[in-house]
Amino acid sequence: MDVTCEVLGGGSHELELDADATYGDVLEAVGLSTQEASVLVDDSPVPEDRPVETDSVRVLRLIKGG
Amino acid sequence: MTLELPNAHRMALVEHAREGAPEEVVGVLAGSHGEPSAVERTDRARNAAETPHTRYEIAPKAELVVLERIEAAGLDVVGFYHSHPRGPLEPSATDARLAAWPGYSYVIVSLADGGANLGSWRWRGGRFEREPIRE
Repeated sequence: MDVTCEVLGGGSHELELDADATYGDVLEAVGLSTQEASVLVDDSPVPEDRPVETDSVRVLRLIKGG
Repeated sequence: MTLELPNAHRMALVEHAREGAPEEVVGVLAGSHGEPSAVERTDRARNAAETPHTRYEIAPKAELVVLERIEAAGLDVVGFYHSHPRGPLEPSATDARLAAWPGYSYVIVSLADGGANLGSWRWRGGRFEREPIRE
């Protein structure tokens, strides 16, 4: 499965993922963890354990700390 | 490695921190990103953390709105700021554990001991490196 992944503020990636890949796998493919970033589909965050069902996603690196 | 932060923006960050105390406040710095980075605008955001006295977080949808607003203005994201209402100026272990923007500036406003001090650090993907702030 080919997926275009735009990391906001960090460039675009063309990913080749397994057919059963999850959105968590998308993050791993661009070197980010679920703690650091969230995948957006149609501008809404999607759970990292959900199977990828689109050919284009955006990744938002989170802004948080303490 | 320097962060150029005009005095008016510096004062705006302190004012935001004081308004929000005792909770932490958070926002995004926009302008020209590089070496050095220059701040031309500051965007306040709502702290969506479950425990805002000790944590800060911008909700993903709100963050998306801010980032798109900055891009539409033809500016770069320069970094982020948050406050430590009672804590020290330095980044906390939580700050380091959750930082996700390598090469970007993380400004902290500390209100400890009744004062208002600012410091800036670049996230180097594993550690924070302090950078000077100049007007």
